[in-house]
Amino acid sequence: MADADILLEVEKLAKTFRVGFFGRRVQALRGVSLQVRRGESLGYLGPNGSGKTTSIKCILTLIRPTQGQVRLFGLDPTDPLARARVGYLPESPYFYDYLKPTEVLDYVGRLYGLDRGTLRKRIPELLDRLGLSESMNRPLRGFSKGMLQRVGIAQSLLSDPDLLVWDEPMSGLDPIGRKEVRELMIDLRRQGKSLFFSSHVLADVETLCDSVCILDRGAVVAQGALSDLLHADRLESEAHFTLPIDPEPAVAALQRVAGVQLLDQSSTTVRLVLPTAQVSALTAAALSCGAQLTELSPRRDSLEELFVRKSVHLEEKSAAKEKP
Amino acid sequence: MSSITTSGGLQLQVQGPLASLRRVGAVAANTVREAGRNRLFFGILGAAVLLLIFSVVLSDLALVDQRARLVQDFGLFTIPLLCNLTAILLGVVLMTKEIERKTLYAILPKPLRRAEFLLGKYLGLVLLLLAELLILTFVWSGVLLLRGGWLTPVIAEALALQFIEIMLVTAVALFFSALSSPILSGVLTAGVFVIGRITYVISELLGAQKGVFVEVPLMRALGRVLLAVVPDLSTFNISDELLLDWTIPNAYLGAATAYGLSWTAVFLVLAVLLFERRDLV
Ligand SMILES: Nc1ncnc2c1ncn2[C@@H]1O[C@H](COP(=O)(O)OP(=O)(O)O)[C@@H](O)[C@H]1O
Ligand SMILES: [Mg+2]
Repeated sequence: MADADILLEVEKLAKTFRVGFFGRRVQALRGVSLQVRRGESLGYLGPNGSGKTTSIKCILTLIRPTQGQVRLFGLDPTDPLARARVGYLPESPYFYDYLKPTEVLDYVGRLYGLDRGTLRKRIPELLDRLGLSESMNRPLRGFSKGMLQRVGIAQSLLSDPDLLVWDEPMSGLDPIGRKEVRELMIDLRRQGKSLFFSSHVLADVETLCDSVCILDRGAVVAQGALSDLLHADRLESEAHFTLPIDPEPAVAALQRVAGVQLLDQSSTTVRLVLPTAQVSALTAAALSCGAQLTELSPRRDSLEELFVRKSVHLEEKSAAKEKP
Repeated sequence: MSSITTSGGLQLQVQGPLASLRRVGAVAANTVREAGRNRLFFGILGAAVLLLIFSVVLSDLALVDQRARLVQDFGLFTIPLLCNLTAILLGVVLMTKEIERKTLYAILPKPLRRAEFLLGKYLGLVLLLLAELLILTFVWSGVLLLRGGWLTPVIAEALALQFIEIMLVTAVALFFSALSSPILSGVLTAGVFVIGRITYVISELLGAQKGVFVEVPLMRALGRVLLAVVPDLSTFNISDELLLDWTIPNAYLGAATAYGLSWTAVFLVLAVLLFERRDLV
């Protein structure tokens, strides 16, 4: 793939904050690398405090990285030309509360060098698309968090950017708002836009991105195509059985198959998980003990599980390191 | 001016000095608009107008033939003082609010340089202060007329020179507030303003035969440092000369203006250099 197709490139980004009177060091980022290609949608995941916002601020020059570098459209992000093609939504955006949405967009439009005619046409369109047309002539002072979020999204789209960098786009929105934003994102992808967005709500991400980058305590713990990540770690299946009149010996027989783990059991049914390679051994065992297979499905990690597992994994590693 | 065309066919003008100037203008316009919707600016303006009108009452205490003089002195002292006060308050409030309320976080990632932002903020503030000075001068000349005085060209010259001081104080306010908290910026700017107006006192004390500024080495060092880093604001005050009906040589006006603008530039450039390095976390 040509270099021109890499819209955002972050290389070994590190940031150390100094806090308090004695300048205690806080390592917010420890060598983060990632790429966003043209047309790609990359979900940036991680628990609160993992460094998502800090790295996004480094990308947009709000924060100077301690080490590493950022390239936007192949340019240094301090070049206005690089930032001209990015639409940024800050985390819980704040705008001038004395301005109306139309005025915010007008101000932003001028900073992008859009002419009056274009703005006059485009601003009402965008506000309408984000469901703000009724409040477009009211100052932002009285706006709810969700409405501010919509204004934030509108201003990020104003200049028709190729790359959208959104920090927690779903936060502050009600279920309807989330659904609308999700639809908007799907629409933007269809238009060929590249998306880079952070979230700590995994359900929002799972359906919206091609690949994810999972961050924990300032370091990338998993990165890649969503489908690879979710399958790669384990190939497992889940099996449901209806048990015979005398359940205990049957359950014991099923559990004797290598690798089987009991998920849950009632007086008449049992749910097991096992390596997919052991499925035939399990069905053989079931035949001989009188348990009846009612359901067999490949077990896929949900993103949630992947997330927790990766974080825990890292925790164990660092705990091991600290031991003498 | 070259422009880039987006995939949706929009024209973005972001390169070149003209585009840069337009961004500075957009920030300045927004600053003016913000002050126009802010109680602070109109509060100070209203109080200042009342104070000037009050000088009519005050002048009644004086002998009839000195009333115009009194109003004149009062105005020449009060108008610049009020404008400087506005410069400090408005400069600090409008700049630190952008950081505290994080409005800047949505604006700076746009194709806008930090220098352009600061310059726009500065120009907006200067425009507001010019408007304040003109409004107050207008009210005051009415009061002056009422008491048989007249806004002479020399008085106008004196006010114009005071405006250089106001521009300088605005730059100082922006410098501190781009780098520190609202209260600290307010205190430091006010400090520079007060010390700047009495630098001649400090230099007299340093040149005297005795006194703390001569005898205590620490105070002597402090005095020297203050004289070096604080501009001499009395340069812009020619009301004493006016009182004595002296004519002010044009060379002096030119030199004073150059002095003020140079200091203004120093503070603005320092503000940009330091602000560019600041993390907006
Ligand atoms: N200004 C700051 N000073 C010190 N530490 C900070 C600062 N900003 C963020 N951090 C630290 O950096 C880490 C990452 O924070 P952040 O990027 O906001 O995470 P996220 O967006 O993933 O929730 C956190 O541990 C936080 O405490
Ligand atoms: Mg965050």
